[in-house]
Amino acid sequence: MRVGLFFTCLVDAMRPRIGFATISLLEAAGCEVSVPQTQTCCGQPGYNSGDRKTSQALALKFLTEFEGFDYVVTPSGSCASMIRVHYPKLFQDNPAVLARIAPLSLRTYELTDFLLNIAKLENIPGQFRGSLTYHDSCSGLRDLGVQKQPRALLAKMPGVAIQEMQESTTCCGFGGAFSVKFGDLSARMADNKCTHIEAAGTDAIVGGDLGCLLNIEGRLRRRGNHKTQVLHIAEVLADQEGDA
Amino acid sequence: MQVASIHFKRNATAKLNDENLQQALARLQTRFVGGRAAVIGEIAELEETRTAAAAIRDRVLQNLDQWLSHFEQQATARGATVHWAESGADVNRIVAEIAVRHDVRKAAKSKSMVSEECGLNEALEAQGIEVIETDLGEYILQLAHEAPSHIVAPVVHKNREEISDLFAEKHRLPRKTGISELCREAREILRPQFLAADMGISGANFLIAETGSALIVTNEGNGRLVTTLPRVHVAITGIEKVVPTLEDVSTLLRLLPRSATGQSITNYVSILTGNKGAADHDGPEHFHIILVDNGRSSLLGGEMQPMLRCIRCGACMNHCPVYQNIGGHAYGWVYPGPMGSILTPTFVGLENAPDLPNASTLCGACAAVCPVKIPLPDLLRQLREKQMALGMKPWPERAALKLWSWLALHPAAYALTTKIAVRALFLAGGTEGLLHRLPGASGWTDGRDFPAPQGKTFRERYNRAFRENRHGEKRA
Amino acid sequence: MSARDRILGRISRALQHSQPAAIEAHLAAHPRGPLPPRPHDLIARFKERALLLSSDILHADSLAQVPAVLAAYLRERGLPAQGVCWPAFARLEWSSAGLQIQARPAHGQDLVGITGAFCAIAETGTLMTLSGAETQASASLLPETHFAIVQTARIVATMEDSWDLLRKEQQRLPRAINFISGPSRTADIEQTVTLGAHGPYRVVVVLLSS
Repeated sequence: MRVGLFFTCLVDAMRPRIGFATISLLEAAGCEVSVPQTQTCCGQPGYNSGDRKTSQALALKFLTEFEGFDYVVTPSGSCASMIRVHYPKLFQDNPAVLARIAPLSLRTYELTDFLLNIAKLENIPGQFRGSLTYHDSCSGLRDLGVQKQPRALLAKMPGVAIQEMQESTTCCGFGGAFSVKFGDLSARMADNKCTHIEAAGTDAIVGGDLGCLLNIEGRLRRRGNHKTQVLHIAEVLADQEGDA
Repeated sequence: MQVASIHFKRNATAKLNDENLQQALARLQTRFVGGRAAVIGEIAELEETRTAAAAIRDRVLQNLDQWLSHFEQQATARGATVHWAESGADVNRIVAEIAVRHDVRKAAKSKSMVSEECGLNEALEAQGIEVIETDLGEYILQLAHEAPSHIVAPVVHKNREEISDLFAEKHRLPRKTGISELCREAREILRPQFLAADMGISGANFLIAETGSALIVTNEGNGRLVTTLPRVHVAITGIEKVVPTLEDVSTLLRLLPRSATGQSITNYVSILTGNKGAADHDGPEHFHIILVDNGRSSLLGGEMQPMLRCIRCGACMNHCPVYQNIGGHAYGWVYPGPMGSILTPTFVGLENAPDLPNASTLCGACAAVCPVKIPLPDLLRQLREKQMALGMKPWPERAALKLWSWLALHPAAYALTTKIAVRALFLAGGTEGLLHRLPGASGWTDGRDFPAPQGKTFRERYNRAFRENRHGEKRA
Repeated sequence: MSARDRILGRISRALQHSQPAAIEAHLAAHPRGPLPPRPHDLIARFKERALLLSSDILHADSLAQVPAVLAAYLRERGLPAQGVCWPAFARLEWSSAGLQIQARPAHGQDLVGITGAFCAIAETGTLMTLSGAETQASASLLPETHFAIVQTARIVATMEDSWDLLRKEQQRLPRAINFISGPSRTADIEQTVTLGAHGPYRVVVVLLSS
C-alpha cells in the first residue's frame, strides 16, 4: 500500500529522527512510503487560535498533496486528529470539498494506530532495552482512541518493561500557544506530569506527540532531571541503526 | 456578582502559589474524580444514556418557547405564580416585591447559582430582609463574605482549620476542630432559622413541563427545609432548565449525581408542585417560580446552543487540569472551569473575560465526562474565532499568526525560514541541547527549558538522503 | 410588552420555527430512556443499595410487630423513645413497647419520626414519599432518626416504575414528592462525608413482609 507521510512541522524542525524512524517502521510493515515535499503544517495552531480561514486553506493544501495515497500516516495523535476529526468540520457548508476531504480524513492515521490495526506490524525492529512509562497525549487519546495501540506494540518488544504512571491520561499542559500564554499554569501542569513520571521511576518517558514530549522534557530538565530519557514512540519502535 | 474575569491571568498565578488551596484542590480531585469513576459504570448503557440525556435537553431547547409556556400553564393551574426575569436586576426586584407582599422579614435560602448571578442576597439585605444561606458551604461563605469557588462544592477552597476559626469567631462558641462537630454546630445554629423564616428561597435543578413542578436535588436536607417550613417559597432558575416529562427527568437523574459528586443518587430529590393544600400541615402557602433569562436566550439558535444543555453537575471543572490547579475564584465570576469559560464570556461579554476561552489546552477531558455531551472544546474554539473576528486578540498574537499562516502556505519560504531558525536555535542550545531562555517565549522558559532542535530540519536531511540514494549511495 | 413576551419573543426569533412542535405527543407518550437491567430479586437489590447509602434495615412480619422492632433498635443505640408518626400508625401498640409516639406533624425538637412510604426503588435503595394531610413531609425531615415502614410488595425496580404506580393510583401530583436515599449528609468541609446535616442522622427502613 502507498502511504503518504505527514511528518509534522514539529518533527521537521525539532526532531528529524522521529521522521526517519516513522519511515523505517512503515517500510518494515511493507508500505511504500512517499514524502510530499511541499507539506508544512496541518493548520491546528491557527484552528485553535481562532483563525479558521488559514486552517481551511491549509486543509485544502493538504488535500492536494495527499489525496492520491491509499493512506496518510503521521507520528502525532494531535495532527492526525486535526485531519481526521476536525478537517471535515471546517467544510460542513462546502459539500464539494467535503466529499473529497471526508474520505481522505478517514484514510489518515496516527502512527501506532496504523501500525497495529491497518499494517498489522508483527516484528518490531526496535532494540530498546529498559523500562518506560507512557504518556497518553490528549487528542490521540480522546479524539482517536489511541491508548492500547502503543502499549500493544511495545508489548511485542522483549527488552521493554512498561511501568504505568499515575494519571497517564491527564494533560501535560502543552496546549500549543497555551504553553506560552499561560506559562506558569502550563509549567505547573507539566510539573505534575513530571512528578508522576519520576514516581514511575523508569528509564524513559515515551509518548506519541512531540509537542507534549518537548514540554515534558523541558520541565524534567529544569527540575534537574537529566537522566530520564524522553522519547517518541517511533524512536523506541524503530531500529535506530542507520537512521539519519 | 462583580465580574473579575479580566484579571484571570494574575489571579491564576496567585492561586498556583496558594498552599492551602492547592491541598484543597487535591482533595477535590480525589473525591470527585475518583467518586465519579467509581459509580459511573453502574449505568449499564452509559453512552446510550448520555446520548438520550443530550437528546432530552435538545428536544426542549429546540422548542423552548413552547415548553416554557406549557410549564407555566401547568404550574399556574396548580396554584404556583410564575414570574419572568430578563436580568439579574429583574430577579432581585421580583423577589423583593414578593417579600413585601407577604410581609417577609427573614428568608432562608438553599444553594442557587442563578441567585449568585444576580447578587440577590445583597439586594434583599438592602431592602431590610435578613437572608440566611443554609447549605453548609454557602453558609460558611456567607459568614466569611466570600464567593463560591465551585458550583457543587462552593467552599472547596477552605480547609477545616479556617472553618474552625470562622465558626469560633462568628458563633462565639468554643472552637471545634472535628468535621462532624462543626457540622453539628452549624445544624444547631441554623435549625431555629429554618423554623423562623418567613420565606424559603431555592434554585431548581429542573422544571418539569408535564406537571408544572420544580425539582431540587440536595444532600443536606436544607433544600427540603426551605421548601417545606416557610410560608412562602420562591424557586429561581434559568429558562433552559425545563425538561418535558417525569421519565425524562429520571434519565437525567441517573447521570447528574454520579457526574457531580460520585453518588448514585443524592439524598433528596424533591419534586414540588403547587401550594399547600387546605388539609396539609406543611408546605408553603405561596409558591413563586422565577424563570430567568439573564443572557441565556442569546445562546439559542447559534453555535453556542449546546451549552444550554448544561445540568450544572460540575464534572467538567472537576476533570479540568486547569481548574484542578487554580480552583474557581480565578475565573472571576459565578461559573468556573470549562462551562464557566463559555458561560462567563457569553453572559457578561467577551471583552470582560478575554482570557477565559483561551485558558484551556483543549485537552477534551471535560467533553469526555459531560453527561449531556456538550462539545466544550469546540465551543471554546468558537469563542476564540469570535475574538479573532472582532479583532480582540492582542497584536503580537495576531502578528505571529499572520506570519505563521503566510509561511505555512508558501512551502519554499517555509523551508528556508525553518532551516535558518532551526540552525540558530541549535547553536543557542550548545552542547547541552537546552535553551534556558528564549526571547519572546519567556512564558515557556520561565518554568521550563526549551529542548534545542537537532541542527538540520527533517526536510533537509530527507532531501539529502533522497539525492544520495538516487546517486546509488547508501542512505545515511 | 411584558418581560414574559420579550423573553418568549427572543426565543422564538432565535429558533425560527416554521411550525409548532408536537410537544403534546411527547407528553402523552412520556417514553422511557435507557433502563438498567431489571434485578431478579427486587427486595435483595433494594436492601443492598439502601445499606450502601448508610440506611439501616429492619424486618417485621406484620404491622403489629413494628413497635417492638423499633423499640429494640432505639434501645440498642441509647436513642430517645419519644417521637411522632403518621396518622396511619397511630393505633399501633407503641406504649406497650415502651415508646411514646404521638400521631402529629413533627416539630423542630422531635427526635424520632415514623412514616410510611408510597413505594421504594430497588435500583438506588430509595424511599418515595408523597406529602399530604395524612403523610406529612416534616416527619421524615426534622427528627434525628427517621423510620420508614415499607411493604416489600411496594418495592419497584426503577424511578420510571414509580411514575407508573403514581399515575395509576393518584389523580395528580402531591405538593411534594420526596425521594429519600439515606440519612442527610454533607461533604462541604474538606470533601469529607458527614452524616446528619440538616435532616436525619439515621434512616431506618422497616421492611414489612406482605
